[in-house]
Amino acid sequence: MDKPKGSVLVVGGGIAGVQAALDLADSGFFVHLVEKESAIGGAMSQLDKTYPTNDCSVCIFSPKLVECGRHLNINLVTLASVEDVTGKAGNFTVKIRQAPRFVDPDRCIACGSCSEKCPKKVPNQFDLGLSKRKAIYLKYPQAVPLKYTIDSDACIYLKRPGRCGACVKVCPTDAINFEDREKSFEINVGSIILATGFRPFDPAVLDFTGYGKLPGVVTSMEFERILSPSGPTHGHLKRPNGKDEPKRIAWLQCVGSRDINRACHGYCSTVCCMYAIKQAVIAREHASWDLDTHVFYMDVRTMNKGFEAYYSRARKEGVNFHRSRVHSVLPQPPDQGDGLILRYSGEDGELKEQVFDMVVLSVGVETSPEILELAGRLGVRLDHDRFLEASPLSPVSTSRPGIYACGAALEPKAIPLSVVDASAAVLESELLIHEARWSETRKKEFPPERNIYSEPPRIGVFVCSCGINIGAVVDVERVCRYAQSLPGVVFAQTNLFSCSQDAIERIAETIREKGLNRVVVASCSPRTHEPLFQETLREAGINKYLFEMANIRDQDSWVHRDDPEAATRKAMDLVRMAVAKVRRHIPLPYESIPVTKAALVVGGGVAGMTAALALADQGFPVHLVEKGPQLGGNARTLQKTWRGDDVQPFLHDLVERTSGHPGITLHLGALVQEVSGSVGKFSTTLSSGTSVEHGVAIVATGAASFIPRSKRDEKWRYLHGQHKNSVNLLELDRRFMDDPDALSHLKQVVFIHCVGSRAEDRLYCSRMCCSRAIRQALQLKKLNPGMEIFMLYRDIMTYGKREEIYLEARRKGIIFIRYDLDSLPRASLDAHGKIQVDVRDHILQEQIRLHPDLLVLATAAVPREDSGELSQLFKCAVSADGFLLEAHMKLRPVDFATDGVFLAGLCHYPKPIEETIAQAKAAAARAGLILARDYVPAESITASVDQTRCVGCGVCQEVCPYFAVKLDEKNRKAVVDKAVCKGCGVCVASCRSDAITLLNLGNQELMSQIEALMEDDPEPFTVQELS
Amino acid sequence: MYFAVLEGLRRFKIPHKFEFISIISLYAQWIRDGRLKVSSAWNVQGLKFTVQDPCKLVRQGLGDTVADDLRFVIKQVAGEDNFIEVWPNRSNNYCCGGGGGALQAGFKENRRRHGKAKFDQLAATGADVVITPCHNCHTQVKDICSHYQGNWETTHLWNWIEKALVMEDRSREGKNG
Amino acid sequence: MIDLKGLRRRVKAEIEKAVPDARIDYCLTCGLCVSGCPASGIEGLDPRKFLRLLVLGRDEDILETNWIYSCTICQRCRYACPMGIDIGRIVYEIRGMRPREKRPPNLQRSCDLQKQSNSTGIPNDDFVWVVNDVLEEVRENEPAWRDLKAPIDKQGAEYYLNQNAKEPTVEPEEMVPLWKILHVVGIDWTYSSKWWDGANYCLFTGDPEDWAYVVRKQAETIDALGCRYYINTE
Repeated sequence: MDKPKGSVLVVGGGIAGVQAALDLADSGFFVHLVEKESAIGGAMSQLDKTYPTNDCSVCIFSPKLVECGRHLNINLVTLASVEDVTGKAGNFTVKIRQAPRFVDPDRCIACGSCSEKCPKKVPNQFDLGLSKRKAIYLKYPQAVPLKYTIDSDACIYLKRPGRCGACVKVCPTDAINFEDREKSFEINVGSIILATGFRPFDPAVLDFTGYGKLPGVVTSMEFERILSPSGPTHGHLKRPNGKDEPKRIAWLQCVGSRDINRACHGYCSTVCCMYAIKQAVIAREHASWDLDTHVFYMDVRTMNKGFEAYYSRARKEGVNFHRSRVHSVLPQPPDQGDGLILRYSGEDGELKEQVFDMVVLSVGVETSPEILELAGRLGVRLDHDRFLEASPLSPVSTSRPGIYACGAALEPKAIPLSVVDASAAVLESELLIHEARWSETRKKEFPPERNIYSEPPRIGVFVCSCGINIGAVVDVERVCRYAQSLPGVVFAQTNLFSCSQDAIERIAETIREKGLNRVVVASCSPRTHEPLFQETLREAGINKYLFEMANIRDQDSWVHRDDPEAATRKAMDLVRMAVAKVRRHIPLPYESIPVTKAALVVGGGVAGMTAALALADQGFPVHLVEKGPQLGGNARTLQKTWRGDDVQPFLHDLVERTSGHPGITLHLGALVQEVSGSVGKFSTTLSSGTSVEHGVAIVATGAASFIPRSKRDEKWRYLHGQHKNSVNLLELDRRFMDDPDALSHLKQVVFIHCVGSRAEDRLYCSRMCCSRAIRQALQLKKLNPGMEIFMLYRDIMTYGKREEIYLEARRKGIIFIRYDLDSLPRASLDAHGKIQVDVRDHILQEQIRLHPDLLVLATAAVPREDSGELSQLFKCAVSADGFLLEAHMKLRPVDFATDGVFLAGLCHYPKPIEETIAQAKAAAARAGLILARDYVPAESITASVDQTRCVGCGVCQEVCPYFAVKLDEKNRKAVVDKAVCKGCGVCVASCRSDAITLLNLGNQELMSQIEALMEDDPEPFTVQELS
Repeated sequence: MYFAVLEGLRRFKIPHKFEFISIISLYAQWIRDGRLKVSSAWNVQGLKFTVQDPCKLVRQGLGDTVADDLRFVIKQVAGEDNFIEVWPNRSNNYCCGGGGGALQAGFKENRRRHGKAKFDQLAATGADVVITPCHNCHTQVKDICSHYQGNWETTHLWNWIEKALVMEDRSREGKNG
Repeated sequence: MIDLKGLRRRVKAEIEKAVPDARIDYCLTCGLCVSGCPASGIEGLDPRKFLRLLVLGRDEDILETNWIYSCTICQRCRYACPMGIDIGRIVYEIRGMRPREKRPPNLQRSCDLQKQSNSTGIPNDDFVWVVNDVLEEVRENEPAWRDLKAPIDKQGAEYYLNQNAKEPTVEPEEMVPLWKILHVVGIDWTYSSKWWDGANYCLFTGDPEDWAYVVRKQAETIDALGCRYYINTE
């Protein structure tokens, strides 16, 4: 192949596309990000909160969007579509068509004057038509790029020139350009990533839902907007009439999903169960009254990390759940009210009726017609559900080499898996074009930093409204005026969204213009937004540590919504404290660490091997550590994927490639014993005594199968280990592989699902067992179609496309009987010593006795007992269930909070093999971000020892979790290795001599903050107010 | 019965030369074409109408199109504002409980229990007249009305079309002759 | 207790033979049909329980229950069923599995009469006589309608009109409004003196050959008259 191109086309600016673009751009590739709308953000930007963490969706997403918009190596092409692709993997020519914006993005400052004056109102699609917007508009307040757009279908002028043009008259920068025309152009890229997402199912075709006819019936996406602070009711829970507050809301699940009749979508949309539970929980939080919430469902699908616990909490908090699909939504007779009647049946067939003020249709997802057309133009195949088809064991590769896909374009999936996919697609691109890394990228150059040592503090304060998040509660103008009065403050200003691109540019401009040398932004959380503002300081030519944030949103406006006056005063306090602290800040050096270009992968299963190969194939040396004597892990016991593809040939190939790869050093029978160092420069000692130097680590240590040990778990035993015909899924797979003929003679087989999962100590779903058990049952039916198979289950978790094997199983005559936790099936021995199983049929409500020749237990996947120790070595967290905890459940699914350490596979959470592969590739891509560089930045806020005070007691050395502090052998004084220090401050707190401090975060700085808090309030409460 | 013929022709592949149509579709077409002139002027007291969408004609037959035609005709005949929608309706309507041979099968109590859903939804409209374009529906709706003590009149559509006929040509003829 | 030591499901197998797309096994037991069916609860059954009996091989219960005559085969369940299961069709098959002597006598009789001509069993001559008699009366008593027509067996008429047997049998005056409407519109239409009934109760007994027989007779009659359209009045 000729040398490949070093740039990549990403189609779609939702979370998957944005993640892919950022990962690529940060690892040495130039990215063209093509988005059909006027701004990136996709569906995630429309959501209110995200489950299971209840994070504000746009708040956690916005920093990524802004980064995308500002990234030197991302070319954002909005209002654009891909017309044609020619060429081949490594060198594609892509024709792109871009619709006119009619607003010059280089001139538009997003002041909004145009929109204010525009006389034409049209339904706002961002709010799904629940509100109005103008013909010239911003897609949403945090839009990236933050540039207005003219809707040519609505604009009066564009239809009849001369008739309006109000925007032209008010625009202060002459940005309106009615002469703008459609453009076509070509780009060359090495690979293509499709992140084209989904569209919500339109329930208007299902007349019985009442959607479009009964005003109280809304879709879940509409309800997200109703809950959202930036939505049509500003987050106030209202009925769609915009007036009354709903007292009773119902959610109807599976609208447009798992429906092969009217909706024509046999698949499960995966996300709806959890978003409905979340909406019910959040709606109850929004309501100051006692909101009655009811969810009507078929199976509650809580098959991912934290979901079952979230569901359990929702039930405890009073969300009502009914296992019942409702035929029709009907209006109350007019003389009785304007409510909506739901008639539903209990499992026993008893009919009940309830009246609701609102019914939310939990609509599924589907591929939009434009994407179907695009797939046709690109020559990538679709599957029968009309999603992009991926190879079974290469989950992000489409049918056309060099074109990859990620996220909901492939299958309905939630945000974390879309993010995983995105990184995995990046990895595939890297494997294809890694030779061209850094060949087309540009390098960020910051201006030289101004020396501010001789200057008196010139502090600038920027107070953010965060739309209405802060502005609706806190009087930001008053806070701004107050800030101006504080000592050292020479400038203060309010921003609608301080993180918007124009505001960022304005802040930089102000720093330069006013000669600011300290900056305070009073807005949200430094966790998400500090890096953005710090970079702005650098662009403006001052050291980024001359910065402080006051969190007047999460810690103020959000929690004191009912008391605006007190919230405003608290904001003033927080600003005063931040100003007091930043006054003492000094510029800190930007440390960096040379990267050891090698990786350590712990675990020799599918995840570990996939990650190791993914890195080694790019030329990064890998050390693969496996505690057992051979590679393969849990997959050695896995016969087939859920689709029915054989796993063993794949595994065999993976093992061969791994063992034979010159870039992979195998350490079999070895354990990780000691880890030191940090991102870019780790040093790890193995039990074999070998010491390994590496820049990154990937933990892929797998999981184990549940075996009842405690008395409490005795009920899950089901004669396992006591009767030879009671086996678990792994053992059955073994029998399939060893002697399938013996299985073909079975007459009756009973499967019991959820053995040990979703209860008590293991309040989580093991995710893979439903599909695996059903696949096995289908295999048995294939061996002997006359075999009677019963599956005793609680909720069938065949999410996404897996639903098709659930249907196939039923079609083959496999009988599903549902049980509850309070009436578990019972297994016993009959008079002949044969297994018999008793269960109650959920529909006929009668006891059933089964006589299986084989009883198969779908036992839980449980964390490995030693995974806790390993995670401690890498300073990684473990969740309550014992699985390893990623840095952020939504947006950083393969990163640990510890930089440079990543995770993949079952150690993270139970998952099927294709998800393990995707996650391993994603982990490799994320690790590659570091390995692709020569240096990584080190922490600047580090501990610093005052040698004159240090008494050499050594406590700091003992407590440092990073082994960064050592006592100098000679003079018995503490010394900090700046490259390793993370600035956590444990040593500072432990020092009895007050000898250690953190730069910019030491006692002086903190005390000045506290003193500022205690200062007399310039606008004190009067005695009257206080009483 | 519309469905019996429609589905019978289809399922048993019975050869035929004619085109099979519903009188309801024709009424609507004739009114739209001006061949059938009707006026709601007769309805001075504002009698309220609702409708029973027959399963066999609508859900199993011609779908919402014929249900819309039915409403169009009633509104032309009784006055736009004198039609009260019933819920559920059209293709999603409840069966009256008299179809499927239930009227002949003889399980009277069961049949009336079945018809309770129909009675409740019709009663909720408060209409004075229930149009039943199917004979089974007509008999059953009439029966449940009296059994559950409703106070509407159960009738065919043609009686009201007759009432609403505008006889222009005929009156001219009368004058001339 | 149901002891499932070997699952025999004769009825289910028979239905599946007759209706390959019966989808009995597809049922998700979601309960949608139960909430949408006016016959739920009658005879202790509902559509979902009915299917479950089939799935679990409770053949005697299935063959004995009279719920199959409370289900009116209205297909409202199928309309919204996520799996598109046609319970009405299944009920139809089971009705047909009943021996004739065990079927509701009046229902079977309606069909048997239908196979002779019409569901009430009035002779075709009576039908012709009633139509002409009523027509005569209108023409005499209502001057505005003195040229009203009700043609029977008019060869080559454009439209064929059926007549439900109820009117000529018990309420003949109910035929008149439609004649008047057709007269005003001015179409060329005709009744037939045989196979004139628009109903077909053989649709409900469960014997497809009876149903087909009646439809075939009707079709032959209309084609013999040479009508272009068949207007069905219900």
